[in-house]
Amino acid sequence: MNNYSNIPLQASNNGADEYILNMGPQHPSTHGVLRLVLKLEGETVKDIVPDLGYVHRGLEKLFENRAYGQIIPYLDRTDYLSAMNNEWAYVMAVEKLMAIEVPQRAEFMRVIFAELNRIMSHLLWYSAYGMDVGALTPLLYAFREREEIIDMVEAACGGRLTHNYYRIGGFRQDLPKGFFDMLKKFISHFNDKVDEYEALLINNVIFMKRAQGVGVLKKETAINYGVTGPNLRASGADIDLRKQDAYGVYGRLDFKACLRDNGDTWDRCKARMAEMRESLKILKQCMDMIPEGEVMAKVPKIIKPAAGEVYTRVEGPKGEVGVYIVSDGTEKPYRIKLRQPSFSNLSVIKEITIGHKIADLVAIMGSLDVIIPEIDR
Amino acid sequence: MDFKKLLWDLFYDTGKPLSQFYAWAHNLWMQTGLPGFILDVFFQLVIAVVIAVFIALNAIWIIYYERKFAALLQIRKGPNRVGPFGLFQTVADTVKMLLKEDINPDKSDILTFWAAPFIIFAASFGVFLVIPFGNGLIAGDVNIGMLYVLAISGLAVIGILSAGFGSNSKYSLIGGLRSAAQVISYEIPMVLTVLAVVMLAGSLKMSDIVAAQTGNPLKWYFIPQIVGLVLFLIAGNAEINRGPFDLPEAESELVSGFITEYSGMKFAMFFLAEYTNLFLTSALAATLFLGGWQGPFLPPVVWFMLKTYFIVTILMWARWTFPRIRVDHLMAFSWKILLPIALLNLLITAFLIKVI
Amino acid sequence: MIKYVSEIIKGIISLMQGLGVTLKHAFRKPITLQYPDVKADLPVRVRGRLVMPIDPEKNDNRCTACNLCVKACPNLSIRTEKVVEDGKAKPKAAKYNYNLATCMFCNLCVEACPFGAIIMSEEYELAVRDKSELMIDLVAEKYVLKGKKEKYFLTKYKEE
Repeated sequence: MNNYSNIPLQASNNGADEYILNMGPQHPSTHGVLRLVLKLEGETVKDIVPDLGYVHRGLEKLFENRAYGQIIPYLDRTDYLSAMNNEWAYVMAVEKLMAIEVPQRAEFMRVIFAELNRIMSHLLWYSAYGMDVGALTPLLYAFREREEIIDMVEAACGGRLTHNYYRIGGFRQDLPKGFFDMLKKFISHFNDKVDEYEALLINNVIFMKRAQGVGVLKKETAINYGVTGPNLRASGADIDLRKQDAYGVYGRLDFKACLRDNGDTWDRCKARMAEMRESLKILKQCMDMIPEGEVMAKVPKIIKPAAGEVYTRVEGPKGEVGVYIVSDGTEKPYRIKLRQPSFSNLSVIKEITIGHKIADLVAIMGSLDVIIPEIDR
Repeated sequence: MDFKKLLWDLFYDTGKPLSQFYAWAHNLWMQTGLPGFILDVFFQLVIAVVIAVFIALNAIWIIYYERKFAALLQIRKGPNRVGPFGLFQTVADTVKMLLKEDINPDKSDILTFWAAPFIIFAASFGVFLVIPFGNGLIAGDVNIGMLYVLAISGLAVIGILSAGFGSNSKYSLIGGLRSAAQVISYEIPMVLTVLAVVMLAGSLKMSDIVAAQTGNPLKWYFIPQIVGLVLFLIAGNAEINRGPFDLPEAESELVSGFITEYSGMKFAMFFLAEYTNLFLTSALAATLFLGGWQGPFLPPVVWFMLKTYFIVTILMWARWTFPRIRVDHLMAFSWKILLPIALLNLLITAFLIKVI
Repeated sequence: MIKYVSEIIKGIISLMQGLGVTLKHAFRKPITLQYPDVKADLPVRVRGRLVMPIDPEKNDNRCTACNLCVKACPNLSIRTEKVVEDGKAKPKAAKYNYNLATCMFCNLCVEACPFGAIIMSEEYELAVRDKSELMIDLVAEKYVLKGKKEKYFLTKYKEE
């Protein structure tokens, strides 16, 4: 007899046409190895339980045995679509702990790479989302632009996905020659490309019918579940850490948080598309404002922060990326806790999918933009 | 015999030499004193083999064409490794399919599981009987041609259902049930649009429908029936579970729908049937609306293929552009939008025929 | 009724827009790079696998087996052994075992090296048939750099 004991749901036997469907860990639209156990009636979702932990690597425990400088490459492997945002959150925490002043040029570079990463992440979301809703062509178009960004980032740090570029106190190396030419070229045509994306998928009537009014996430629910990022802003909450905390040099830049009202799947998509355009604006400003100078602060060779605790957060493409460090004054951290957005963003799925169809579940899952290694860590 | 004349006839009036050949063979056969039906059965077998070979070759080409066309839309290159321009990619894929293990899922219903690919393939195979490829180049010009097409192509849903049921997989079952609902709902607007054409032509016979459109492109039915053509393409695309209507397969939702559990040659049969159906729907659209094999200068078969592939291209274009429709929208689209328009189209057509 | 019709028309327009986008792309050049035949031009900072190139001036590698890279490596991918002569350890590497299987290409070892003895090469096709081949002795390998990376290495990571 098969062992069904690990299925956390039971179909009721009182004559209702209910059945349990195991979606994942191997499924084309669970974006990696997420397992969803569904209780269905026909095609309608009656209950849903996400089952996590298939790529758990114990990163937080690993950190306790690493020197502060060695932790950065591991952070690339949580949210691998926007590695630099994770790095930034961590690096900022250590800098805060050691009271290191980062040079201005490095601060601008951080913004540039964070925004490039944001566009990269949103582009991948767009292409994967196209696949989720059955349109196969957006993938290729979005990857064309993503490739351009990756080439830029590769020229700067040598890595395409796992960047490992930010350092405690600034940057490993200054920008490569010709970087701004590449950036300028990218900025000059990307807006048109976003228009194309919208015409191809987001404004398509088939997609609009599928997305509008589906998976409505109310503002209160979103806040209660700790949802952050574009998902929260699509629900109408004006929370953008780049505005609120104004970390780095975001305070000096002119941009707006992309708010939407309804909080349905379509709004979440629109919010991301708008965010790409805003990121482009930020990049444009950074390109004009970036000063010359050093990119690395004076940092001791052996990083040994004083005992204490610190929590820093940045606005990643998926939401609030937070790093909590407890230092006991040695070379290695006593404890590091990562607060990453996908976990809380996924937790809301039960609230917003029940009563919808399987096809909607896929669309909603995609619109939440979760990434599994970030959930499991 | 005039060789030049024969060649001309073979290309431009294929029916004549073929029937002459049949009459000649029949005479010869009758002199032996054996019963005549044996010869007929033999000829039918030959025709069936010819159609089967055509299906296989056409599928190899059409799959390659789709992959190349998709690549064109997606700014990539498509298959270009196996053979010149990747032409033998499909052959290589087929060989791979043949070598794959043939998996039977645990607790699957063996009979339905095995029958499904054959039913689906047989349904698309049967429709070839009445497709007029050229002037007289039609396997069996039955006088209820169009009705026959609708009846036989409707059989495919049984295959899909039995595939969904027999696989013992919930994904397959959902896919099969979706397909049943979809095919039945889209049959109605399709029948209504076909009916408008049949009314114009005054016959269900395929050769009559083609003949009624004459060689003049202005008299082809896509001009009075432009709405009908669009409706037919949408409904036909839904019938064959492709493009934005690929819900029974729905990769991101149901893994692969009713073909999730299939592998090896059985999977290849589904694949073959899918592309054959694509060709058939396009061929029907070309016959009903674009004047069939008629056209100036070029031989009828070439015209027929050109028109068919034109429609195939349009269907592929839609497939590689649009996202998938949700299942309840699919139903609503059929019953709330397509059906009223089809009815209106039929009414207006009937009215115009009466008046003019 | 008007709403019904206008919605249909709006829908058709949006569908046409989508078709237009794909049609436009049909006339654009493919972006495919025919990978094994054509390889991308990599920037000089690219991080392939670790190598210890021969310095043409010394005709030998620059490593002194100081173990700073070993300490910098987060994954313990590097082990070194010093040359021992007459029972005394010399500042020269006899063995430099680099475990490609655990390396995560973070470049921290290269940054740690005070002599510029190691560098991440342009090699990225690193699949092997046997696991044991992933254990590489960089000293015995006597790697010779070519192209952009060579200049980068000789000038101690200076870009022109």
